[in-house]
Amino acid sequence: MKPRASGWMFAAPYLTLFTAFVIGPLLFGFALSLFRWELLSNVKPTFVGFENYVEAFRDPYVHQALGATLRFVWMAVPATILLALMIATGLNAVAGKRQGFWRAAIYVPHLLTVSVAGILWRWFYNKEFGILNALLRPIGIEIPWLSDVAWAMPAIVLMTLWWTLGGPSVVLLSGLQNIPVSYLEAASLDGATPVQRYFRIILPLMRPVLLFVTVMHVIGGFQVFGQVYMITRGGPELSTRSLVQYIYETAFNNYRMGYAAALSWILFAVIALFTLVQFRLMREERS
Amino acid sequence: MMTPRRAVLTALGGLIAAPGLLSGCSSNVIGGRKQTTIRFWNGFTGPDGRTMLGLVRKFNEENPDVHVVMQRMDWGTFYNKLFVAGLGGRAPECFVLHTRAMLRFALAGFATPLDTFVASENGLPEADFEPGVWDATTYKSEHFGIPLDVHAMGMYTNRALLKEVDWNPDTPPVNTAEFIDVCKRVRKLPKQESERYGFVFTNLETNGYTLIRQFAGNVFSPDMQTCILNSPENQNGLMFGRSLIDDALVPSPENFDAWIGFRQGRVAMAFEGIYMLADLQRQKDLDYGGAPVPQFGNTKAVWADSHNLCMRRGLDAPTAAATWRFMRFLSNNSLDWALGGQIPTRVSQLESPEFAKMEVQAQFAKQVKIVKYHPKVPFIFEYLTEFTLAVEKILRGREKAPTALKTAEDNINRIIERQRKQGVSGGDQA
Repeated sequence: MKPRASGWMFAAPYLTLFTAFVIGPLLFGFALSLFRWELLSNVKPTFVGFENYVEAFRDPYVHQALGATLRFVWMAVPATILLALMIATGLNAVAGKRQGFWRAAIYVPHLLTVSVAGILWRWFYNKEFGILNALLRPIGIEIPWLSDVAWAMPAIVLMTLWWTLGGPSVVLLSGLQNIPVSYLEAASLDGATPVQRYFRIILPLMRPVLLFVTVMHVIGGFQVFGQVYMITRGGPELSTRSLVQYIYETAFNNYRMGYAAALSWILFAVIALFTLVQFRLMREERS
Repeated sequence: MMTPRRAVLTALGGLIAAPGLLSGCSSNVIGGRKQTTIRFWNGFTGPDGRTMLGLVRKFNEENPDVHVVMQRMDWGTFYNKLFVAGLGGRAPECFVLHTRAMLRFALAGFATPLDTFVASENGLPEADFEPGVWDATTYKSEHFGIPLDVHAMGMYTNRALLKEVDWNPDTPPVNTAEFIDVCKRVRKLPKQESERYGFVFTNLETNGYTLIRQFAGNVFSPDMQTCILNSPENQNGLMFGRSLIDDALVPSPENFDAWIGFRQGRVAMAFEGIYMLADLQRQKDLDYGGAPVPQFGNTKAVWADSHNLCMRRGLDAPTAAATWRFMRFLSNNSLDWALGGQIPTRVSQLESPEFAKMEVQAQFAKQVKIVKYHPKVPFIFEYLTEFTLAVEKILRGREKAPTALKTAEDNINRIIERQRKQGVSGGDQA
């Protein structure tokens, strides 16, 4: 058997499932987005071309949901990368079993499901008897975490950091551990200070890992839904309603399947655009 | 031949209803007797679920030829699963719908009209149902559900706090003057570590809806073709609510965890649904009471919704008969259901000595003739989003009532126009 044919055979089981459960639904979703299909309507699904997309661009709730999503990404992603890098650097400096313990400890919250983490933090944020305000009250501060428009999104970001920081920290730690010690030793012999070694050698060598972590978190950030739904349900005043939540409500509360499919494709386009920009920026920086 | 749309829907519904298919409606032969299995879906995931489970077990014991299998899930999941299962023709034989959601399932053809069952030899006495509650289950003159309860909003009172401000807890406020008097008295109490209030807004949607209906407002024109949310009556109702906050008698919604505050004993009065009673029944350190909501405007009105027992369309005669028997059993035994914190809908039960002993339920039930349901519209979730957002903005003081209501009104009218173009008809005043 030719190597090329055997390669296809090995890939065939996966490709079959991938086509059936990813490519197929994607194409079906795109076709759906070109139809007006309201499940409560007696009118059969009608081909409307890009009318759903036009409606989406005019829909103020899409703007609001996209704004909330961008705010989440803007607050959560840089903070995640920065904190994860700091944690990874710290863990890298800890030797032996202690490193294993701390790595596991930091990763533990990531093992919780979004519903458990969401309920837990909803209690933490309770204005009257939540643990956060209990800690702040002695210094005269009481924050309406979830009921104030200004605080609700930062509260969700804080919870997300606690919940997800373990994942990128471990990935970045493995990146740090893959940097050959000889590079750092050579730099030390040349008189480089620890700060210079970090910024001139370690960070540039970490770029591929950083790109991976950033891209994954930007994608995840744009898809934020679970924690918002568990903690604020999109409130107060819809200030935390993300685009995914709006899509969910459009499809499964309002039964507007064609419009929901168009919104999904818009979200896909936004994510793809941001991802491409990140790749381009990193490539330009490298060149 | 099945149309492509129907085929997709069937496949989609089939997938969702797969577990149901495995354990679904079937006739088994047990001990030489044929047994019909009825699937019963509902969203009673709280203490009410235990009460309902008890009723289901009792029915199964008394009816060996029928086996009811109850499945509970949170209401959001429930409605999604039910709709998709309905699309695939695999909805459970019996399910519970809120009155406000019933129109959608009637329009989609998932629920069957029950009038012939009600009028049959083994039917139910139509005249025994509270008329307003019974009428709310109609669409185009047909009844699509048997109302199991009416969960009206009422006023919970903290009797100890009322006593502390020298107000007789057995005669809670019934009008604006008395209500404001209590609020002022509580605010004059010596300061404690935590603030205390006479009243707090708990659920903005239900509190706001009660206010607009009490000020003779409404959401839609009588023909249901136009949203009239920005009417002077609605503005007055919600501005009254805001004035309580402006006068520092009531905290702004963002600054107070309202229901928890009531349970902590820091609030004298709160308007909430009867379903919150289960919370209080478990709490032993709060001396609470129940009363009708005071009348603020010129109209007696209070928000309510109902759980309705519905039957899937297209059941064969024996299964439909067994399902009806179960529905009738629940309706006839809804006093047991009321014990867990509900108000029955049958006049005979409302007037029974057993119900009179349920103190809070009996107080809330005094309002049963003035309950106001949300209008029956197919776009109920979109309407509620707009309405609640407007109330939220007004009570938080972020927008004036005319501005917030105008925005909501315009948005809802756009939805109506969109629905009209799509051929989605229907809608009814409640």
